[in-house]
Amino acid sequence: MENNERKTVSRQMLAFEFRKTIGNPYVHIFGVGMPVLMMIIITRAVVGEIADAAIRSGVNTTVFLGIGALIPMATIFMGYGVSNAQELEKGIPQRMELFGIKPGVTICNRILAEAIFMFLAFLIYFAVGYAAVDLEAPELSGALLYAVCILGFSVFLFCFAYGISSLLRKFSLTYCVTMLLYFAMMILGGMMGISYENLPPAVQLVAKLLPVTYINRDFYTVWKGENYNFVPMLQSYLLMGAAAGILMFFTMKRRERKLH
Amino acid sequence: MLLSIQNLTVRYGADTALSVSSPIDIEEGDRVGVIGSNGAGKTTLIKSILGLVPYEGAIRTGLRPEQMAVHMQFNEYTDAMPVRYIMEAVLGTKIARDKKLQELIAFFEFGDCLRKKYAKLSGGQKQRFTIIMVMMQEAALTFYDEVTSGLDFETRQKLVEKLVEWYRGKKESLVVVSHYYEELDQLAEKLLILDKGQVIDYGSKDELFRKYCGRAVIVVSHSERNEELLSGFRKLSAPAHLIAVSCESEGTEKAVTELLQRNDVNYKRSNNDIEILYTNAKAAKGGQTDGK
Repeated sequence: MENNERKTVSRQMLAFEFRKTIGNPYVHIFGVGMPVLMMIIITRAVVGEIADAAIRSGVNTTVFLGIGALIPMATIFMGYGVSNAQELEKGIPQRMELFGIKPGVTICNRILAEAIFMFLAFLIYFAVGYAAVDLEAPELSGALLYAVCILGFSVFLFCFAYGISSLLRKFSLTYCVTMLLYFAMMILGGMMGISYENLPPAVQLVAKLLPVTYINRDFYTVWKGENYNFVPMLQSYLLMGAAAGILMFFTMKRRERKLH
Repeated sequence: MLLSIQNLTVRYGADTALSVSSPIDIEEGDRVGVIGSNGAGKTTLIKSILGLVPYEGAIRTGLRPEQMAVHMQFNEYTDAMPVRYIMEAVLGTKIARDKKLQELIAFFEFGDCLRKKYAKLSGGQKQRFTIIMVMMQEAALTFYDEVTSGLDFETRQKLVEKLVEWYRGKKESLVVVSHYYEELDQLAEKLLILDKGQVIDYGSKDELFRKYCGRAVIVVSHSERNEELLSGFRKLSAPAHLIAVSCESEGTEKAVTELLQRNDVNYKRSNNDIEILYTNAKAAKGGQTDGK
């Protein structure tokens, strides 16, 4: 093993990180169960009084796409965040590093493991969604853009989860902070019953900085391949990406081993 | 030379946790025992070599981080899966295909534990789990930091026997931190004696023994009668329940042992007693002339 350069991604490491991901009960409850349940309940509640079938399926689809954003927020932001904090609290990442497993290797395999889990969670979400709720089929461009937007959002959430857990280094604190931010994003994104338009102007300023606001409010237009002004959404992605990147870089530098 | 430490200082806030002024060199194949009471700086020394704590001074080595392996005092792993998967991921191998790993698992009688989660392992099993993975690294320099702490006497003894057996005839260098003198006796050829963050001495066990204890020591239990009996001989610092007499020559040794035999006193003769060596090195540093 002495002279063997460890591959960045290996089958064993990927399986190891995937087992850790699915070993975390939060991701099953909040990442799979809750979005599915919320999607069914909210669509039933919202469209109950809408007589027009076309409008009903449009509203269903809007709710469905918005709530889909909860999957990365729960599996990656909360799930990975608390799991990483728990490991840091026990000194596990340092132990792995002392075995010659560089943090970059762990992170790369974890990102892939999270992506696989998220893909499976979305499969379940879409399967249940199309089976239980009247949803509209997307245009190819709409479906692809949804995937790209969710993926980008997930990458930024991963960076935030890594950064927050690395700074706080405690399970309880990280759980508390990520949970608060999770609900804050849900409220500001309009998933808790108050739409963006009904938020106070000052809160709207914050809400429009979050990609989740656009995913929840506007994605139906993109889904259907209709004309959409992507600039505000892109700006929110750029801002979130910059903040996530800085936080990730700063915390990785801070954790770096200083060798002779 | 494998590793050289010069003018090393490690600070935790305003406190100096470790200060090494004389150079410490570790050669290829060295087996170094690090000894000192709690807070002496033993773990800090290892952490500074591994780059886990900031320090001032120089630690020179041609070794890459992955050429150094370490069994820390506390080792934790995820409880999300049985330990066999952790082992395979850490080592980048499959147990079923790796003969050497199978050999180590058998050597440490760990086969039955592979399906358990880390939290379900006993203290001894946890230690063996990390030891197997540390040994699989085949590092040029391996650190064992209190590898037997928290284990019962029998498990401790068995584990050290296994370590001795495994490393016999191998060229890897070892640095072993321990509070148990008999472990260092079995595993170390050199000693680094630390106290309150300072290096008391560093050298081969034999040299240090001669320096602080003489050619040999005779140890008897402490009593007024034994004190009186041995009053004519040079006594060394020793733990409170013992009296240690330094024997600089064969003649002195003969005189002491004959005296003790005539008076039916049990004694132990040693030319490598690490406990007496450590006590006297510490006393010499502190300027003490007599032990308790």
